[in-house]
Amino acid sequence: MKRKTVYLLVQSLLCALLAELLAAGALRLYLDGAARQAEGDMFYYMFTRERVTQQLQPVLPLILVALGLTAGGVMLGIRDERADLPVRDMHLLGEKGSIRMRAVPQASDRRTVVLRTVVLVVAGILIVAGILNGGLEDVLAKGAAICTECVGLG
Amino acid sequence: MDKKETMPRPGTRRLVQLYAALLYNANIRGFVDGHIYTGNLKAACVPGFNCYSCPGAIASCPLGSLQNALNAAGHTAPWYVLGILALFGVILGRTICGWICPLGLIQELLHRIPTPKLRKSRFTRAMSYLKYGFLAVFVIAIPLWYGVGKGIILPGFCKYICPAGTLEGAVGILQHPANSTSFYQLGEIFTRKWVIMVVIGLACVFCYRSFCRFVCPLGAIYGFFNRFALTGVRVNKDRCNGCGLCAMQCQMDVRHVGDHECISCGKCIGSCAQGAISLQCGRITLKGPETGKNADPEPVVRKRKQAGRIAWGIALAVLVFAVVWFNFLEPAASQPVSGPEDAVVTQEPAAEAEHAETTAVPEQGATEEGAQDPAQTTPAETAGEDFTSNRPVGTEIGCQLPDFSTDLLSGETFRLSDFRGRVVIINFWGTTCAPCVEELPYYEQLKQNHPEMEILAIHNRAGAKKAQAFLEDKGWDRLDFALDSKEKGLLPLLNAADAMPQTIILNPHGEVTYNAQAPLTLEKLEVLYQQALETTF
Repeated sequence: MKRKTVYLLVQSLLCALLAELLAAGALRLYLDGAARQAEGDMFYYMFTRERVTQQLQPVLPLILVALGLTAGGVMLGIRDERADLPVRDMHLLGEKGSIRMRAVPQASDRRTVVLRTVVLVVAGILIVAGILNGGLEDVLAKGAAICTECVGLG
Repeated sequence: MDKKETMPRPGTRRLVQLYAALLYNANIRGFVDGHIYTGNLKAACVPGFNCYSCPGAIASCPLGSLQNALNAAGHTAPWYVLGILALFGVILGRTICGWICPLGLIQELLHRIPTPKLRKSRFTRAMSYLKYGFLAVFVIAIPLWYGVGKGIILPGFCKYICPAGTLEGAVGILQHPANSTSFYQLGEIFTRKWVIMVVIGLACVFCYRSFCRFVCPLGAIYGFFNRFALTGVRVNKDRCNGCGLCAMQCQMDVRHVGDHECISCGKCIGSCAQGAISLQCGRITLKGPETGKNADPEPVVRKRKQAGRIAWGIALAVLVFAVVWFNFLEPAASQPVSGPEDAVVTQEPAAEAEHAETTAVPEQGATEEGAQDPAQTTPAETAGEDFTSNRPVGTEIGCQLPDFSTDLLSGETFRLSDFRGRVVIINFWGTTCAPCVEELPYYEQLKQNHPEMEILAIHNRAGAKKAQAFLEDKGWDRLDFALDSKEKGLLPLLNAADAMPQTIILNPHGEVTYNAQAPLTLEKLEVLYQQALETTF
């Protein structure tokens, strides 16, 4: 096997392993916590800074190894060159069995310009209407305070 | 063909991506002190995907705002956010995805990790339509169904999927030691979102822009505008010979240059042997063929590069201004964890000057040396029992909460020291926060069960009208409600500027027995109430 292939394979396995460790660590904390809470300890905190740090400790060296390997690979120009090859599956590109390339509307196309202007005017009207009906204040209220549930904290 | 000719120019695009990510997150101070920017610019949305709960974010996320607006569509039509999205869409289209989306940058950097890559295929093409499903279900249907139909705040995409929220919002908040109590509320939602984020991250390593192509509802929205957006890649019909090389070499699932999947990255400009493709903003060519057949004339290229340098100069000046403004000048850039030594913890500055002197707030985690003089503490006038405390002043468990007074919505004044001898619960809530709204009835029930206790519910300064309308609708009369003020707010003083809901429970001595950012149930509240009654430090 070529050295490049081995390198790419090792990198793939490392990425998969890292992802597995990161996901499994969180799942482990959650499942342990859920079991404790089911036993009646309603104030048991599934995640604490200490527990999370503990889970991350074995992952950090791996992250450093992966970063080092990535930096080395990027500097040496090692990559999967097949990614640069054109995709020649005709079904992807248009009607079955043909490459039916359609040029997109040009900036000067009358219909496009009219449509664009209409949308622009409508957008302006909507924004003004939104400012008047309190929509702007709603965005500010939401943005200025963190909703923990919305960002996935709890 | 020369390799240099076929390769895109990632340098410029990467720099623009980095620039956008920095500009969106110019509140660098937020990462240092662990708090988010709460100023008026949060009323505006950035075009790209950037969580507004990220400590660095200076403006709101358009997708989060859309869900919030649809959630509230029952009483406020979502015109503003729809207008903003239409404006971004018609001016930039999916050029936003390719050039100024921080999440796009992260995906591309992950894809740079050298591993075998999954190329586009019929399968990925079919998968690319999934994002319209995510848009329809998680961004539109769930918020509308729960918000308008049931009165429950539920931004489906943010809550169940959004990896930007997990990475920038949740991790951004949790990384700071000041937000350690935020860990307490992590549970099923976080675990699920964390796993989703990790899976998406892994997918991006092997498959170009996996999130963007298969999941991103914001990209789906901008895709609707792509064909007539002012900015985007254009094909010169006269030069195009229909060879299809542009679409074949594109890593996105495009059928035609400039269709709804095209992010106008400009890679195809270099790959077109006919020189038929260019990146344009209206009639202005931002990037055109510079070599090969039909290449732009040398003076035109030179002029374009010169204009580019001027644009970069202006852009950098804007970035420097934004960084300086948000980190050093803007007062609302980041709320302090606790007030300075001379902070006045009252909203009645003139009448309460003497009282205010006794309510200075020391730094969080104050030591015994920094403790407030017990003699200054207001004694309780109840049952002859002495409820004074000699604990240090602070917001941590075991500390004596600093005294404060605030105007209630009922018109009365709430002064914390008036409630010595009773258990006091202070709850921070917001109408835009689903867990907050869900737990408020529990407080009402708790107060009904224990009328001798005091419960103060404080709403964020923003959205006051909505909060008042909400409370009028609910008709709760057992709880005391107050609004936070912008200048001398209780939110930063009580270490709750970051996340809601937060609850602080005080024992009869005014000492903190519970202080956490986590939703509570009636069962938990009963336990905490008993604990507060029995705990002395």
